[in-house]
Amino acid sequence: MEDKLRAYMDHLFRDVKPTRKSVELKEEILQNLVDKYHDMMAEGKTPEAAYNIAVASIGDMDELLAGLHGTTSGGGLSITTEELEKGRRKSAVLISIAVMMYIMSILPPILLSDTVFENRLAPALMFIMIAVATALIIYNNMTKPRYHRTDDSIVEEFKEWQEQTDSSRRAMRAISSALWAVIVVIYIIISFWTMAWHITWVIFLIGVAVEGILKAIFELKK
Amino acid sequence: MSIASDLIRGHTDTIILAHLTEEDSYGYKINKDIQVKTNNQYELKEATLYTAFRRLESAGYICSYWGDENTGARRRYYSITPEGDLAYQQMKTEWDEAKGLIDILIKSSKKREDTNGR
Repeated sequence: MEDKLRAYMDHLFRDVKPTRKSVELKEEILQNLVDKYHDMMAEGKTPEAAYNIAVASIGDMDELLAGLHGTTSGGGLSITTEELEKGRRKSAVLISIAVMMYIMSILPPILLSDTVFENRLAPALMFIMIAVATALIIYNNMTKPRYHRTDDSIVEEFKEWQEQTDSSRRAMRAISSALWAVIVVIYIIISFWTMAWHITWVIFLIGVAVEGILKAIFELKK
Repeated sequence: MSIASDLIRGHTDTIILAHLTEEDSYGYKINKDIQVKTNNQYELKEATLYTAFRRLESAGYICSYWGDENTGARRRYYSITPEGDLAYQQMKTEWDEAKGLIDILIKSSKKREDTNGR
């Protein structure tokens, strides 16, 4: 008969999201019903009568269940679509600036060629620009607004998990694309500098190793 | 439950708080105490009881914890907070005032003479 009471509670809560709060409430009320049922049996009622009395004592649950919906939606932690939109615009600006800097980083060596700065200042400027652009991309990925759970339900948890894995994958992709841009630039500069084309290809192997190490650090951090 | 339960339902919060000033308790026990005290004339519906619990909890008047029973039944106990104690005193004072006023207002000193009316 306890199973019957449980089934009845399941039926009452069928439209309620299985949050921690609602599950606890259900358990709490069920426990009360079971207590009541046993008391009625002890008073000499038949199982059917005891069950009917217990179920009748529940009353109108609408307000209580509506209250559950109300408290779960008012989490307050969730970010609004407006904030999301703002974050997206900011991130677009940052990425655009970063890409622009990558492209323009080749300008100092071109403009300063055949001057006294050719050997020292030109490469230095170029690398500073690349470094700043890479930093912008990484910063952008770390500050992007994330999806926060609006309540405790499993669906929301899944969404958050999905967003997290998705965003870390995106961050990794951003870092690795920046890394390869830098590697190509380094390869070309060193090759032209030293004219040792026969050996400088090793830089790409080093690049693969560096990317692998970065990935490993990323995985460990999670 | 033949007596004016609607009238009493408005004081569910006060009734629950009054029980919790005595000792920490759980839903079924509170309801059972109410039945015993009123000689089976009144009992709360589960829905009313738990709606009141949620309301009192979010107002900070009570807090709850899960008791660990050895018998297997896990019960959520409720306990009154200092704010709840204050609120209880205030509700009780208000009720006493209202009771006095209603007594005065609903008292009729004169019997209408039906035969005189048109």
